[in-house]
Amino acid sequence: MIGTYDFCAHYEWTFAWLEAAGGEQLLQEYWTDAIGEDAQRHAAELIQGQGFEGMMKYWGHTLAEESPEKGYHMTQNPSVVRCDMHDCPSKGFLIKNNLQQYKDYCDHCIAWIRPVVERAGFRIDHEHNHQGQCWWEFREQENPSPASETGEVSGHHDVRHLPHWPQKEHDRFPEKSDSVKSL
Amino acid sequence: MKKVTHRNKTSPLPYRDNKPQGSADFYFAINATFRFILKKRGASGWISYLRDMATDYYRPVWTAWREDGLPAVATYLQAAFDAEPQAKFEIAETKETVTLHVIECPALKHLKSAGREIVPEFCQHCYHQYGTMASNAGLHMRLQGGNGSCTQTFSCVAPAEQNLNEIHPVL
Repeated sequence: MIGTYDFCAHYEWTFAWLEAAGGEQLLQEYWTDAIGEDAQRHAAELIQGQGFEGMMKYWGHTLAEESPEKGYHMTQNPSVVRCDMHDCPSKGFLIKNNLQQYKDYCDHCIAWIRPVVERAGFRIDHEHNHQGQCWWEFREQENPSPASETGEVSGHHDVRHLPHWPQKEHDRFPEKSDSVKSL
Repeated sequence: MKKVTHRNKTSPLPYRDNKPQGSADFYFAINATFRFILKKRGASGWISYLRDMATDYYRPVWTAWREDGLPAVATYLQAAFDAEPQAKFEIAETKETVTLHVIECPALKHLKSAGREIVPEFCQHCYHQYGTMASNAGLHMRLQGGNGSCTQTFSCVAPAEQNLNEIHPVL
């Protein structure tokens, strides 16, 4: 039985299998269709139906299940929902077990989340460091505010305060002039 | 793809987490992955996916089976199903067989209770996965039942060929 205990590991293995079978396009379709529209359809329903409240409910439930040690912090104010991930349970599992088949596991999150939240009328600012730390900010698409400065939204919970935040290569969405890639 | 070679010598499970069990919502993604590959690559593509995963990803497991035989199979199945949320199962061993009785499949239980559409072929995945792992280890695996409960028999003596039509579709 393909189980849930080591899900992140065979999920990551599947990325490499799909890329080998059908290239990057098949993998992108997998994240959008199979994960975003099928597996995570409860997320889409919550976010489309309840906006910020739905985001808090979805990630509150999902992260509590996946990260009972609470290696994350969610912040909500009237104009933004922010997630600071200090110890990603998913990427952390791969790092601890020294597993890597696909070139960038972290790509899967933005690949399925972005279409879901954009359909619901929101936009994303996001950055990850490939070491299990990342942050997300969700705003209504009409809100022109830029991503927050460090500590501005989540105070001392801001992952960018961590001394090891700068380590490794960062990906930033949307792409900044100093970032290394975008979708 | 890189060959998976890592093996955890302190546990029958090849990879370890801080949590004793996985999150049941991951069954949504497993089922959705099957649906996606069946749609994009057909049944033969889906079977190739499962066999490739069994051979590559699960290499540390079947390598242990090949080295240590049926006792390693029983030890792994016990640990693997203990780590699944709400799995109800029993394992019986004889000199020539290990039999896994899945009394209530945790995946189908969660998917059905959440009202998810389940791919009809879902229960065949255990045969393609474990059957390939057993074959790689010089063993045999056959499956009877399905749709929520089944019997999986691992043996060192060649049994009759598996009839996939005898694995119940998910209704």
